[in-house]
Amino acid sequence: MAAMSPSERRLQKELMALMKEPPAGVTVDGDQASQNLTLWTIHMEGVPGTLYEGEKFVLQFKFTNKYPFDSPEVTFVGNNIPVHPHVYSNGHICLSILTDDWSPALSVQSVCLSIVSMLSSCKEKKRPPDNSFYVKTCSKNPKKTKWWYHGMCSFIFFTINNFSKSITKRN
Amino acid sequence: MKQQREIEKEISESIPLVGDLEVLSSLEKEYTEDPIYLLKVKDLSSKYKYIRRTRPDGNCFFRAFSYAYLEHLLTDKAEYDKFYEIAKNSKDTLVALGFPEFTVEDFYETFIEVVQRVGEQAGSSSAGLDEVRGELHYKFNKEGYSDYIVVYLRLVTSGQLRMQHNFYQNFIEGSRTVTEFCRQEVEPMYKESDHIHIIALSNALNVGVRVKYMDRGEGSQVIAHDFPEGARPLVHLLYRPGHYDILYA
Repeated sequence: MAAMSPSERRLQKELMALMKEPPAGVTVDGDQASQNLTLWTIHMEGVPGTLYEGEKFVLQFKFTNKYPFDSPEVTFVGNNIPVHPHVYSNGHICLSILTDDWSPALSVQSVCLSIVSMLSSCKEKKRPPDNSFYVKTCSKNPKKTKWWYHGMCSFIFFTINNFSKSITKRN
Repeated sequence: MKQQREIEKEISESIPLVGDLEVLSSLEKEYTEDPIYLLKVKDLSSKYKYIRRTRPDGNCFFRAFSYAYLEHLLTDKAEYDKFYEIAKNSKDTLVALGFPEFTVEDFYETFIEVVQRVGEQAGSSSAGLDEVRGELHYKFNKEGYSDYIVVYLRLVTSGQLRMQHNFYQNFIEGSRTVTEFCRQEVEPMYKESDHIHIIALSNALNVGVRVKYMDRGEGSQVIAHDFPEGARPLVHLLYRPGHYDILYA
């Protein structure tokens, strides 16, 4: 087998740790991830005592060969997308550490913990106010969205020279 | 706008992470039509002979600082010994502050490997030095080393800010806490460095840095700031709005 690249080494190390000591309510599909280190499926359970108690969600993590310098592409997939003011019905998540505030010192585990905490602190289950427009116009890759992180999610969308860019603004 | 950003990114990526030594007068070519800057380049050349450019990717302060300091350590064994102790203990400090050992150690290991290689030749004869200098230059232009060093120094900077958050809070504009500032402006790659980053890193590693500020301001002189104040500067950097390069006397 060819020597592992730095990103594969790092992913392998993260996968082992996540399988051995997963955060509460988080399970990684280890077999699938071992087959293809750049695509992980993670199961997440709603935390007891929160609005999402009893619900089950599935997250998909995609990594490039520049991970951990490039942030992972993280989306909710499957038939239960959490109804939350920062989660679009297509599974895209408006969370700053997934784009602007990503740091190579963060990890799959810290992303999972942030998402658990984002869901757990929710006071009212509802979609972002601009959900239907965003879902119709956004790129398939949420990292291509220019998100603005200030409070509530809402976004402005415009097209320049055939390049589309959506700006999601939380007021 | 996106197209423009793509173009900027392409230009930036064509510039080496850390360039070769150039004579300072190479700066004049950039400012042939600009009398203010030309006067300032002249002032600068009364104190410095060479410049080494870094890629303008937002990491330039960290890259310029570490390159210039490690290069200095090659000729200063006493300073190396002092620094090695600080560098060696820095990971434990970060872990004690709550940074995850799991990810920090990867960056620390690459960083300390590069530092130790400098230490093997620090203060030795010129033949050995040239070899390590070449190696240092090669590593700083290889992302697998260079970016790991940048990440590690970003974490050390963040650690210093968090440790003395009461002091550093005064430097942060707006309503952000030190922790929020660290997460948004220090720990992520490609975020530009300001005074606060320089003050924190120079204090954390106890390394004197002199920054020459060259801008459109009045007068023909290039103003210098020393960090920490009063320290003997071992690293000399040129700041032009948004960018740092290395200066050599």
